[in-house]
Amino acid sequence: MLRLFALTLGLVLTAAAAFAQTGKVTVVTSFSKDVTDPLKKAFEKAVPGATLEVQNRNTNAGVKFLEETKANNQVDLFWASAPDAFEVLKGKKLLSPYKPKAAGIAEKVGSYPVNDKDGFYSGFAASGYGIMWNERYVKANKLPTPKEWQDLAAAPYFDHVSISAPSRSGTTHLTIETILQGEGWDKGWRTIKEISGNLRQVTDRSFGVPEAVNSGQVGYGIVIDFFAFSSQGAGFPVKFVYPSVTTLVPANVGIVANAPNKAGAEAFIEFLLSPAGQEALLEPTIRRLPVRPETYAKAPADYPNPFKDKNLQGLLTFNAVLSESRSAAVDTLYDQLITFQLEPLKAATKVLHELDAALAKKDNAQARALAKEARDLIAAMPITAAQAASPEIRAAFSGGKEKSARQAELEQQWAAFAKEKYAAAKAKADEALKLAR
Amino acid sequence: MALAGTRSGGQAVLALTIALFLGVFLVVPVATVVYVAFTEKGGGGLTLVNFLDFARTDLFVRSFWNSVYVSAMTVVWASALALPLAYLTTRFEFRGAMLVQTLGFLPLVMPPFVGAVAMQLLFGRNGSVNLLLDEWFDFKIGFMEGLNGVIFLQAIHYFPFILVNLSAALRNIDRSMEEAAQNLGSHGLRLFRRIALPLALPGFIAGASLVFVKVFDDVATPLLLNVKEMLAPQAYLRITSIGIDDPMGYVISVVLIGVAVATMWASAQVLKGKDYATTQRGGGGLARRKLKPRESALAYAVVILILALVLAPHVGLLLLSFATVWSFSPLPDGYTLAHYARVLGDSSVYIKNTLLYSSLAAGIDVVIGGAIAYLVLRTKLPGRQWLDWAASTALAVPGIVLGIGYLRAFYGVKMPDGTPLAALWIVIVLAIAIRRLPYALRAAYAALQQISVSLEEAAENLGATKARTVRRIVIPLMTGGLLAGFVTSFATAAVELSAVLILVQSNSDAPLAYGLYVLMQTPAGRGAGAALGVIAVVIVAICMGLAQLAADRSQRARGLDI
Amino acid sequence: MSKPARAVGIEIAGVNLSYGSTHVLKNVELSVRPGEFFAFLGPSGCGKTTLLRLIAGFAQAQTGQVLLDGQDVAPLPPWKRDVGMVFQSYALWPHMTVAKNVAFGLEERRLPRTEIDRRVAEALDLVGLSDYAGRRPAQLSGGQQQRVAVARTIAIEPKVLLLDEPLSNLDAKMRVSVRRELRALQQRLGLTTIFVTHDQEEANTICDRIAVMDAGTIRQVGTPMELYENPANLFVASFLGSANILGDGDGISVPAGKRLVFRPQHATLSSVDGVPLRGPVTHREFLGATVRYGVRVGGSEILIETPFQSGAELRTVGDMVGVALPPERMLYLPA
Repeated sequence: MLRLFALTLGLVLTAAAAFAQTGKVTVVTSFSKDVTDPLKKAFEKAVPGATLEVQNRNTNAGVKFLEETKANNQVDLFWASAPDAFEVLKGKKLLSPYKPKAAGIAEKVGSYPVNDKDGFYSGFAASGYGIMWNERYVKANKLPTPKEWQDLAAAPYFDHVSISAPSRSGTTHLTIETILQGEGWDKGWRTIKEISGNLRQVTDRSFGVPEAVNSGQVGYGIVIDFFAFSSQGAGFPVKFVYPSVTTLVPANVGIVANAPNKAGAEAFIEFLLSPAGQEALLEPTIRRLPVRPETYAKAPADYPNPFKDKNLQGLLTFNAVLSESRSAAVDTLYDQLITFQLEPLKAATKVLHELDAALAKKDNAQARALAKEARDLIAAMPITAAQAASPEIRAAFSGGKEKSARQAELEQQWAAFAKEKYAAAKAKADEALKLAR
Repeated sequence: MALAGTRSGGQAVLALTIALFLGVFLVVPVATVVYVAFTEKGGGGLTLVNFLDFARTDLFVRSFWNSVYVSAMTVVWASALALPLAYLTTRFEFRGAMLVQTLGFLPLVMPPFVGAVAMQLLFGRNGSVNLLLDEWFDFKIGFMEGLNGVIFLQAIHYFPFILVNLSAALRNIDRSMEEAAQNLGSHGLRLFRRIALPLALPGFIAGASLVFVKVFDDVATPLLLNVKEMLAPQAYLRITSIGIDDPMGYVISVVLIGVAVATMWASAQVLKGKDYATTQRGGGGLARRKLKPRESALAYAVVILILALVLAPHVGLLLLSFATVWSFSPLPDGYTLAHYARVLGDSSVYIKNTLLYSSLAAGIDVVIGGAIAYLVLRTKLPGRQWLDWAASTALAVPGIVLGIGYLRAFYGVKMPDGTPLAALWIVIVLAIAIRRLPYALRAAYAALQQISVSLEEAAENLGATKARTVRRIVIPLMTGGLLAGFVTSFATAAVELSAVLILVQSNSDAPLAYGLYVLMQTPAGRGAGAALGVIAVVIVAICMGLAQLAADRSQRARGLDI
Repeated sequence: MSKPARAVGIEIAGVNLSYGSTHVLKNVELSVRPGEFFAFLGPSGCGKTTLLRLIAGFAQAQTGQVLLDGQDVAPLPPWKRDVGMVFQSYALWPHMTVAKNVAFGLEERRLPRTEIDRRVAEALDLVGLSDYAGRRPAQLSGGQQQRVAVARTIAIEPKVLLLDEPLSNLDAKMRVSVRRELRALQQRLGLTTIFVTHDQEEANTICDRIAVMDAGTIRQVGTPMELYENPANLFVASFLGSANILGDGDGISVPAGKRLVFRPQHATLSSVDGVPLRGPVTHREFLGATVRYGVRVGGSEILIETPFQSGAELRTVGDMVGVALPPERMLYLPA
């Protein structure tokens, strides 16, 4: 008993001593050691007297931790690549605004603004989404090499693709939202469902996708680029391609409200945006895209450059307000229509692939008409774009008074909708297949 | 009458202390998190509407039945694996018996993440076995597909529980039960089936119900296999969603707790009046006979096959820790020691923390579990059953709920200098201890049931107080069971991750599981994560072996045999 | 239950049995006649239960033979010996009803269902428990459990019945009635039966012959009366009934290597004159029908029991008395 007390006392005193020193900067981050170790070293070299204390947590645990400890906050910075997490923290008033002094940082990278418009968090890097595949798997199964997103919807890719759920991966969510903004609500969802019909699995964490591709459990993965490159760097037999229209997603850092060492936190952000910090991003273990355009002069020749490469420029201006307004709805729609209805969706898609093959051999107008009907059934959505952004739907997720239904009720409605539609689509496709043969 | 007063007074104080402990470190933190299930989002007072929604949502109902199916089938398959081994080691002079019992424990010690990765590499759709099967015979077996994959992994993981349980139950059978059957003409397998198994059944059910609940509440394994349509993963996914404050995650947590309590209650009902272990006298177990050479060969073959299966994850883990690249091939491309070199530096801090936390947690568990078992079985205090049930619900509470609850309950409590209480590593120990308490409790309960009350009454008759009787008679006789509880708590505490992830606030406080988690976030870290996992398994195995040796020696010194 | 076609005899010849370095049975020779109610009698640890288990097949001897109806049973495992054993703890299976317990042996013999049911009913009827067929052992009293155990064994119509201290868990009153029932049952069935006990009264009252055992050896075999009247050695003499033992120097001359043994009720108190055995009265106990005196003779204390006559004068402690003993009641046994 006495020993425990002494131990406790000792711990407390050490903590107090550390407190007194102004150099400790505490950061909660979801970045891996591959990223944090080199940046920590570089930061501590650039700012003598400062030490970076890294608390590694997955994004959700990090957000929850900040929420629960806000009464006596000990954390200076939140540092992650999940834009939705920053929005949540901002909404719960857990961030302090800060305008970085660094000059020479771009306003926009790809389609996205680099910084939060209200100044609560700053972007320091970007990454691109693309397609990664396992060479051995592809060779063994005699599969094709993809180039564009739409390729993944083709028949040979059936049951070989993996993606992480947008509800679980903020960056994947942005990719989906970009498709919706680019192609429009209905066409966008049609594309998404066509690709999703070929999925083998929907993972619940971002890293699950590259991990599955690395082991060869799955052939193709829709991943963020640095996962693919670090896998290659680790020796895995994988390849990566940026489609010609790709999504660039940002990585951010923000100062936590009531930070114990605000000065230190600001110093860290300035470091990240400084030429030295931005150059550090080019290291093979980190491999992020700097937001300081001049940094690319120091990069190797084939390094992707969002300020020069056509396919990284972004075809549209991303509407962050729209994205935010329907964020919960889009996540839930994906889950209820695809993630948890994957088997029925795949069943219908499979028959459609077989049907296409049969029609290629011998055309049949009636069968083709039925195929189109089946596809339309799959592409049908339970709510329109306007409804998705409406106050009623939003209130269902936030608990506001205007809600039309509870979240659980909406989910059940949408799930039932999808189940019915996919079953009907499969029935039509089966019928068409009989005709075509 | 004064004597009677102080006796029950002491017991009441003990009961209240334990109730306080459970209240502060389990009930209150969980309640602060889970009460959301009873309120409507954005709405006012208490309501059960969320539970209605639960029942009306196809996804949840489907997940519920999936969980029931997986849990039940896990018990079936784990028993199928355990039964031959239990039969061989209790019925015959089998030289490998000791080895079987020790190795049989290892599957419990499976570090998070890496274990499932290793199993995918061995048994997955494109794992070693299936690649070879496809090459030679042109077909694949879906070991790891969907619900069957979960059942496969869980059966292997929890098989030690059933084995230990079944063996103990068989060993407790009065020898004369068997002899009477032999005398009347029965022998061999027929006797085993008609007499030994039915008599062992109650003891078996006690262990099986624990496995059922544990599998029902397991979050990690289904998620790692990408199976989301089970109840516990659904709870986790909803609680950890960012930006949507969904009460359904907590509703499901309440359902999980409810199912756990219901299962424990149901098994207690089934066992009532059928607890044959305590109504028998001598024990003595079944008579053992020697194996004939051909039988011996068959026995060893069966044992080796089963052990190979249940130790496959560790084999995979070992391969992974030495592998350069292992992708879509039966075996790694090449081997290296680089991963071990990488982790050996960092790991001493992790190892120290793991040993400290796990032994403290297991110690707490054994003391509290033993105390609760004593109160329930030996006293007549009203409401003592609630202590048992409250402690058992710790099984059902998802680690993340407990972690958040601890932050919520204790972060506001400050130490003199302003450091929050929840920042101290002792809180991590308590979270681990609470989550493992049910194992130690069940083991202590089973051990105490075997001891006849008359042994204690004799001591009291000779002048020993209740406290002294417990110290000098009860505890030495319970040592076997308490040790089993300690070992199980320790082994599973060493690989605890979900609560740790929320509560750890600095690397210097981190245990092995955390270090492993950090490593497994990158492609290059997989080998190092596996190396750390192997280190964790080795350390835990050594500690378990030492603990067993120490207990054996002390028992022998006292002339008791476990 | 029909009488067996022919009752069966048991021969035990030259049996030696050791557990490790403990020599438990030493050169045991015994024969049990067909239809006999035979007892193994002795203090605890004498080897009687081991001998019984040897016959049942639960123990193996290093040397010697056990013959059942002339056949050597050594190569037969317990389940093939067809000897019915009633265990001291009864060993009723708690997960089966009384009827299922009794039916067990018949089911193992693969008899047709109707036959099994018939014999179960008969066995239960014989022990008077027909109404309890559906109960579980836990619901029965000790005496009832014992009867179920007996019914279970006789249902299979064994060649031989082995009873391992069947009465030791019953209260005194039950013991008397149950042992009479066992005897009656055995007579009715004509089964060769071996009864293991440490209680000489039990052995005396119901058995045809008794083997008295001590430390692994058989000290004497005979009918109860033979053993009582003509014990072959001091052990048997003092085990069955009380015995006074005097050696040389206790007041009378006893041949070297022998002791004088006589029963308390065969001696009478007389006046001291001319009587070699004499001494002071040490204590007196009134037992209703008899009065028991303790008298110190030489270095030993002996007991004398005389019938109590109402109104007769009793000796007091300290009185010097003489002990009269008819010569035909004097037994000289090896020391």
